[in-house]
Amino acid sequence: MSLLPTTRGPREAAAPSARLGPQPGEVIDRRRSIPFTWNGEPHTAHPGDTITSALAAAGVRVFARSYKYHRPRGLLTADYLDPGAFLQVGDEPNVRGAHRLVEAGMAVSSQNTWPSLRYDLKAVNQLAGRFLATGFYYKTFIKPEPLWPLYEKVLRRFVHAGAITPERGAAVYDHRHAHPDVVVAGGGPAGMAAAVAAARAGASVMLVEENHQLGGHLRWGDAADLTALAELRARVAAEPGIEVLLDSVVTGRYDDNWVGIAQRDLPGVTERLIKARAKTLIVAPGLIERPYVFAGNDLPGVMLSTAVRRLINLYAVRPGRRAVVMSANPEGDLAVADLERAGVEVAAVLDARDRKGVVRAHGRGGLRAVETNEGRRIEADLLVTATGWTAPTSLLNQSGDRPIYDPRSARFVPDPARMPENVLAAGEVVGDAGVEAIVEHAEAVGREAARRAGRIARAWRAATPAPADTTDPSDDDPVTIPSLAPQPHPELFAAGTGGFVDFCEDVSAKDITTAVAEGYDSVELVKRYTTVTMGPTQGKLETVNAVALVAAATGRSIAETGTTTWRPVYSPVTLGALAGRPHEPVRYSPMQSWHERHGATPLVAGQWIRPEHYGDPAAEVRAVRTGVGIIDVTPIGKLDLQGPDVPQLLNLLYVNKWSKLGIGRVRYGVMCAEDGVVMDDGVTGRLGEDHYLMSTTSSGAATVWEWVENWLQTAHPDWRVHVTPVTTAYASINVAGPRSRELLARLTDVDLSADAFGYMNVRTGAVAGVPDCVLWRIGFTGELSYEIHVPASYGLHVWERLMAHGADLGVQPFGVEAQRILRLEKGHFIVGQDTDGLTQGFTAGIDGLIKLDKADFVGLPELAWQRERDEHPHLVGLRPVDGSVVPPEASQILDRSGGIAGRVTSSRMSPTLGRAIGLAQIDRELAAVGTRVTVRLPDGRDITAEVTDTVHVDPEGERQRV
Amino acid sequence: MSDTPIARGPVAVSPATVRDGWEVDARVATGTLTLSDESPLAKVHVRAPFDGASRAALGVGFGRTARADLGTGEVLVVGSGPGEWLVLGAPNTAGALRAAIEERLAGTGEFTTVLDLTHGRGLLRLTGREAATVLGGVCAIDFGDAVTPDGTALRSSLAAVVTDIVRDDQGGTPSYLLHVERSSGQYLADALLDPGRPSGLEVTGFRGLA
Repeated sequence: MSLLPTTRGPREAAAPSARLGPQPGEVIDRRRSIPFTWNGEPHTAHPGDTITSALAAAGVRVFARSYKYHRPRGLLTADYLDPGAFLQVGDEPNVRGAHRLVEAGMAVSSQNTWPSLRYDLKAVNQLAGRFLATGFYYKTFIKPEPLWPLYEKVLRRFVHAGAITPERGAAVYDHRHAHPDVVVAGGGPAGMAAAVAAARAGASVMLVEENHQLGGHLRWGDAADLTALAELRARVAAEPGIEVLLDSVVTGRYDDNWVGIAQRDLPGVTERLIKARAKTLIVAPGLIERPYVFAGNDLPGVMLSTAVRRLINLYAVRPGRRAVVMSANPEGDLAVADLERAGVEVAAVLDARDRKGVVRAHGRGGLRAVETNEGRRIEADLLVTATGWTAPTSLLNQSGDRPIYDPRSARFVPDPARMPENVLAAGEVVGDAGVEAIVEHAEAVGREAARRAGRIARAWRAATPAPADTTDPSDDDPVTIPSLAPQPHPELFAAGTGGFVDFCEDVSAKDITTAVAEGYDSVELVKRYTTVTMGPTQGKLETVNAVALVAAATGRSIAETGTTTWRPVYSPVTLGALAGRPHEPVRYSPMQSWHERHGATPLVAGQWIRPEHYGDPAAEVRAVRTGVGIIDVTPIGKLDLQGPDVPQLLNLLYVNKWSKLGIGRVRYGVMCAEDGVVMDDGVTGRLGEDHYLMSTTSSGAATVWEWVENWLQTAHPDWRVHVTPVTTAYASINVAGPRSRELLARLTDVDLSADAFGYMNVRTGAVAGVPDCVLWRIGFTGELSYEIHVPASYGLHVWERLMAHGADLGVQPFGVEAQRILRLEKGHFIVGQDTDGLTQGFTAGIDGLIKLDKADFVGLPELAWQRERDEHPHLVGLRPVDGSVVPPEASQILDRSGGIAGRVTSSRMSPTLGRAIGLAQIDRELAAVGTRVTVRLPDGRDITAEVTDTVHVDPEGERQRV
Repeated sequence: MSDTPIARGPVAVSPATVRDGWEVDARVATGTLTLSDESPLAKVHVRAPFDGASRAALGVGFGRTARADLGTGEVLVVGSGPGEWLVLGAPNTAGALRAAIEERLAGTGEFTTVLDLTHGRGLLRLTGREAATVLGGVCAIDFGDAVTPDGTALRSSLAAVVTDIVRDDQGGTPSYLLHVERSSGQYLADALLDPGRPSGLEVTGFRGLA
């Protein structure tokens, strides 16, 4: 167990720098240094350094503690997949430190170590290791069940993960839809060559690379590799049809080639999810080097050959001082050469092709010595393994492919026969025969992908209303794709001495064999029981080793054992990227800028942003009752109805009669659904012989439009009616108050006299010089008022003229709150507030409006039945006996036995009456005017209120009819 | 404060200038990816049978556009929906355009409606080689040439707002007219500008139909 020193602490002497001299392929900019902190200590990096390369250059070897046992972990792969480098950066947890580039001012820390990374007391878990074996959680915490919440709290404290803050961070996430002809997943030599070939064949290409540069393994290669890399990059750069996405990953392939791409190379955007509908997908991810399973294989200092080559050649970091190398392939041999060039003493090379190998690594907190299968013990601080490759076939699996195990190359390879037409594979995932052969193969794949994409595009074009395309050539012959075979490789998975299979989840070889012994003999079951391959690397490092161990434990072959299912996502995506940029539409009236300039408090009403008030809603009410006020009512729904059959439509949809509405007249109507429930109300004016303008509630505008269209299109397609939503074609302003006529007369050529323009009439004319305005004389506030509908582009102009020309009349703007009070004083109900999803017409108190003698209308049978039953609740006025108490809306009304007899639907303090008033729905037994009822307030107090008529102010309607 | 009526589009302008009685943005973009408020254009909405004589009279069907002269100068006729057309003309020509269309359709014998929606709709124009990429930030439609070539009209959701999208290239450069409920115009402009800025999207003043 290593609770103790695992990393350099402040009291230790600074380790000598591990930074090497300039390397031919290095990606760091030595001219500049940028500061950052690691666990509070100041450090510097060069631009291009990853967090761990900068720290490794400074001599840091341990970056994290492991998931379960809190064992010290160092670099293993030195790239995106490295399981030993999940770090906290500022408020961002689980950052992949071997991939994330250092930025100036970064505060980097280790995750979930206490009290520190160096002295992590949670490593005490190792003492209990024998009890934390396979299925520990399932076996231990299943009973007693009630204690699970307690277990959960404790276990969470030990989970190796970072911390997030509840505050919204500065991160910005985004979505983008894209429709490239070809998506190439992987920007190594094969991906670059395929992309260039496809682009040269006329295809639009997205080239997606996980790393910060194109090139794959060529980046850390020798001079020949670097020459090939430069040439391929130049070819890519020369193709305008290629969009290169760096630091980006194809996260999954779904039906119809819907390809998810997590893009992280955008300035100002933390992560963007690209939803690409690719005509063809080329999978070119290269190969992933596989760890070797042996005792001590997770000690800091044990690395893959590609890791040391990356550190030396990309970041100019010496990975150790004295190394042992176990190599089974040419890449491992090249690592030896790199190490020697970097000044690392290579103590021994164990050639696995000659059956030499490592069986155990020793050390506490870091590698000290290596034990070989020949019984040698070699002192070293670096053990490099090069024991095989895994072909990351995830995207192919997700496309329906089922890779086949090839014992000759010791890896699973794609089965071309199972791949769909719109998915192709290129490069080392198929075979590895040198750069030239890979490029040749990939170029053919790229051309073929472009050919297939072209065929799909032509089919799509033929299906669109575009003119016939005569320029496209006919389908070309398929491109001949040369064969590309995997190179032979010895089967090397485990030394048989234990060790870790899954470094993310702390799953050991023993866990696998134990699981099999307990009966979990399917690799899928072993996966779920042990959680092997379920960590952040998602099996890319672990799957084949796990399969090999299961195969060995069950006596089956690897081919018979098969792999687990590789599902999307290929690599983790942030929840922010999945959510993307929020799109929550808001709607503004043409007068919005005026409201903002004049201090209106905004009210979000559905999508509309409306002025709730301008500071004092009670004063706004008094202004309307005594003088004149104007309110922006643009959101009122408006439908233009034209055609000879409009009266039939109105008769069908409204409960009242419409056949005799004369030109220039306005009528109020209520719509009910088939069940007789009130769904909307409003007025409709007749503008011409076959021309009507219907208004709806603000919130019901879209619903009513759909409702009208639904009846026209399904029940009465024979009716000659055209409906056009014109809600925002007009800026709507209600001019209300006893001096409203006086104000409006100053701005219009319409005769506003009571005789010429009576209550419930409509006129058209100019207002403030704007022609084609519609003026309705109606009154929601109970005052003399005119609702003027102005061509919306002139809304601000007319509003400002009304304010200017009414200054001497004391004109005041009023908001939605004042309007609600005014209409409550007048006893007008609001659909959706004073009614609900069960409120039928007679409950709403519109008895006089409902014409049951009409031949038909929507809701007629239900309304007839409601009246016949005569047991419905009633909408009534309500006044608390103590007029100073305003019962909150939704307060319950109790019957004499204490049962619920109704509820308060609207309630306000009336500035006009100086007392509380309200509307309520109440059982018919208590609905008679003068009845005293008990209202239970939300705080539990009961008050007494009296049932009144719904109209609290001007019950005779004299004020609005002047 | 002038008593002369000034018309304003749905998108806030700064700095402002007045052209043909409309307050428009005075900015002139220097880049090649631009967004302009074209709401001053006359917008006349036509309803008629999907595939009858009116369609022939208007010269274009659902999903396509055509340039024409209906007697008021050049207009863009858009087959904006099944049985729906949108006719765009120069500013302040809506009345004449409506009359011209009514006259043209009168002889068809079909039930038609011609409505001036100039003030009821917002009209934005997004122009530039990267325009499709910007639209890709708010819409799932394929704006490539294979699916939506120049002259295409469709109705879809842009940033969750119902929008008539009309591809109307300008001198060979991809250009899209985006036709929405007026009240959603400012929101849609913001929804495009936000993700479009990294691509260099700039606001420019009213351009007109040409």
